[in-house]
Amino acid sequence: MHRGRAFRPFTARGRGVIAAILLTFALFSAISVFVTISATGRSQHRASVVEVAARQRMLAERYVQEVLLARAGAQADPSYTASVLASSAGALLDGGTAPGVNGDDDETKLSAASGTVVRRQLKQERRLVADLTATGNALLAGRPVTTIPLTAHERVTIVDPVERLRVLAALTANVSLNAARTIAIRADANISNLITLQVALGIAGLLMSLLLAFALIAATRRQTAHFRSLVTSSTDLVLVFGSGGCRYVSQSVTRMLDRPEKDMLGDGFGRCVHPDDRVQVNAAAAHGEPHQIVFRLLDKFEEWRHLEANVTNLQHDRRVQGVVLNARDITERIELEEELTHQAFHDGLTGLANRALFRDRLDQSLARSERSRETLAVLLVDLDGFKQVNDGLGHDAGDQLLQQVAKRFADVIRPSDTLARLGGDEFALLLEGANESGALVIAQRLLECLSKPVNIADRLLALGTSIGIVLHPGGPGESEDLIRHADLAMYEAKGAGRGRYEVFHHDMAREFGELLGLEHELRQGLEQGEFSVHYQPEIDLDTQTIVGVEALVRWNSPTRGDVPPIRFIPIAESTGLIMPLGEFVLAEACRQTAEWCREGLLPDPFVTWVNLSGKQLSHGGIGELVQDALEAEGLPPSLLGLEVTETAIVVEGPAGDRARAALEDLHDRGVRIAIDDFGTGFSSLGHLRRFPVDMIKVDRSFVQGVEHDTKDAAITANLTSLAHALGLTAIAEGIETEGQLASVRELGCDLAQGYLFGRPMPAEKMTGLLADDADSPSAERQRASA
Amino acid sequence: MTEGDFHIKAPKRVSSSDVRLLVHNRGPDAHELIVLRARNSHLPLRPDGTTVDEEALERATVGILESGAPGSVRQLLLHLPPGRYVLICNMSGHFLGGMHTELVVQ
Repeated sequence: MHRGRAFRPFTARGRGVIAAILLTFALFSAISVFVTISATGRSQHRASVVEVAARQRMLAERYVQEVLLARAGAQADPSYTASVLASSAGALLDGGTAPGVNGDDDETKLSAASGTVVRRQLKQERRLVADLTATGNALLAGRPVTTIPLTAHERVTIVDPVERLRVLAALTANVSLNAARTIAIRADANISNLITLQVALGIAGLLMSLLLAFALIAATRRQTAHFRSLVTSSTDLVLVFGSGGCRYVSQSVTRMLDRPEKDMLGDGFGRCVHPDDRVQVNAAAAHGEPHQIVFRLLDKFEEWRHLEANVTNLQHDRRVQGVVLNARDITERIELEEELTHQAFHDGLTGLANRALFRDRLDQSLARSERSRETLAVLLVDLDGFKQVNDGLGHDAGDQLLQQVAKRFADVIRPSDTLARLGGDEFALLLEGANESGALVIAQRLLECLSKPVNIADRLLALGTSIGIVLHPGGPGESEDLIRHADLAMYEAKGAGRGRYEVFHHDMAREFGELLGLEHELRQGLEQGEFSVHYQPEIDLDTQTIVGVEALVRWNSPTRGDVPPIRFIPIAESTGLIMPLGEFVLAEACRQTAEWCREGLLPDPFVTWVNLSGKQLSHGGIGELVQDALEAEGLPPSLLGLEVTETAIVVEGPAGDRARAALEDLHDRGVRIAIDDFGTGFSSLGHLRRFPVDMIKVDRSFVQGVEHDTKDAAITANLTSLAHALGLTAIAEGIETEGQLASVRELGCDLAQGYLFGRPMPAEKMTGLLADDADSPSAERQRASA
Repeated sequence: MTEGDFHIKAPKRVSSSDVRLLVHNRGPDAHELIVLRARNSHLPLRPDGTTVDEEALERATVGILESGAPGSVRQLLLHLPPGRYVLICNMSGHFLGGMHTELVVQ
């Protein structure tokens, strides 16, 4: 498997080569010293050998003289010389100790001779010494010397014993001399070899060192080129500062700024730095501190680039003698951070501050207020009717409306005030330093700025706002409390008729606590079966008979007693409890109607009407829910009617389409559909014409004035005519007096419903009424009135 | 021809007057070779009694090979008129030790 060469830092490689050079020198020097010491030792030994070998010649001649002297009767001891000769010859050949001669020199330790020629010569010498001393001994003993056997292959024919002795001594001396020469020549050869070896070692060491030096130079060049390439091609920015300003900028700097290098060098660099950053950049360039800086540089296109730099002081490094900035371009990161920060604290639709930023500003403002006792005010602004626009005209129209409203609000506040959109159609305004009168002035301006209709999708929409105001008198305070109190005040304004403002007072807080308790009990009530269904009769104005009932939910709380629907229905709507509650009403109404049907109490026609909230419709699944309820009780669909509001059937989008389709399907199966509170919503004739409606219910607000108010009478008459023109039945709600009954009958209403005929009543009572009606239809109205 | 301790082995007769002597020293000692025109091996000695008096025989000397180490092979080219010659090694004691031989050139 191929493995790529790992990058080795310059220092490691350079040190390796230098170490190799030093090791080579050390190795070769050690070898040289060892060889020299060894050779010197051998030379000393050889000198001793040569000396002993050369001494044999002298000893051979001395031996002859001493034999002659002894023969002549003089004081001489040739036997000693003979023994020295023999011992030395043996030591030269086989190693051992060569004795000294009469104390003239020391004993000499010799090793065995090496080399074929020398050993043959020394063997010959030993034989000749033996022949010489044997001849000498015979001469001194007076024995004939010619009988002495010669062992060295000499063929001496001389018979004179003295001459014979001299010849043998000459042969001994000669071979000893030649052996000494041979040894000396070998020593010379060894010295030559030593010199040759030393020279070879020197040359080899030199060549090796040169090779390593070249390798070091090549490695240095490669590394230098490598780092130069890294610095010049890197996206990291390198700048070096010295006494004269900027001394070096890498290519990445000039590339990033699109400026020539000369513009950046010297004092030119300072002109490219953002004025606010010059102090810290100059400090870093002069002293190497701080070690990390973020600064801006101006590029060729007059745009600021953000740089983050590590500062390294290399003024004492003789190779740099300056301060080095290793920087990188963080412009995109900074811009992204700014964008994210803006997004995190601003509303994307209106560009106003969002809830988080508003809370932050409010917290800061409260902190200042705690120190300075300065007053402040918070206004919560909720648009009246925004939901109808959003549901009726779609979310795009709702978004446009919010944008225009935000612009109008922004135009009437002070620049120092914080205007925020908290979500949906809810806005908030923080007024620092404002007292009550100042806050009321601003609130009034906000109300007035929406007095002119807003043009959305070529429609002029008249909007109102409800404003809750909370005043902080200065000192410590909690932002959460202020917002909650402003919220309560805003709901108070909504409840008081909309299009107005309310200033928070502490009674509101108590009411708020009441609402929370109610929600909790509502949940419990659902679980524990505290709800029941009451029925209010609907009367045919021609026959005076009951033709239907409206099923109405009632809550009998063990702690609160009977709680009016107007009190708990909005809470059920806002908490989602309307779903199980509506399901309960539908099931119970179907069950009761089926029971009446089985008992034969129902006239023909008869419809039990059940109210569907907008949330039930938009939640989906209403078709299945109704179908299941009918099938569970075996109730014919024609006996069930569903009341929906105008707003619920004009909702845009997939949820609205789904709800309409479900209602159309149910209508096809025989279920009746009525539009509740007709005349107060946004439904158009187009919707009414296309939608499968059987009946419209004229809102009680028109019916109540129908007797005396010509406008209400005209509206009721028109609504009734409209219903008839579309082939629908019209029913008047809220009939309480005979006068109202007479008026609606005169205006053409088909049916009527109200306290005049009967209040909503429990099922048992309604059962009795139906039974009576079945027995005597004409007497019903009178019984109900009673 | 060969030399050794202490003898010279060479042909006794040669027919050509141009003689090439190839001398192989078989040792163990070093040896030289002197060619003298002489009737026999009875040659005069120096006063030391161990070497031939080469000065006295200078006129008779026809060729000399200096001392050769054991194992060496040397060559001596001679133009020898017909006659009797003696070949000797005159290193100290060698002649008297037996290193001489006679050569007849025909």
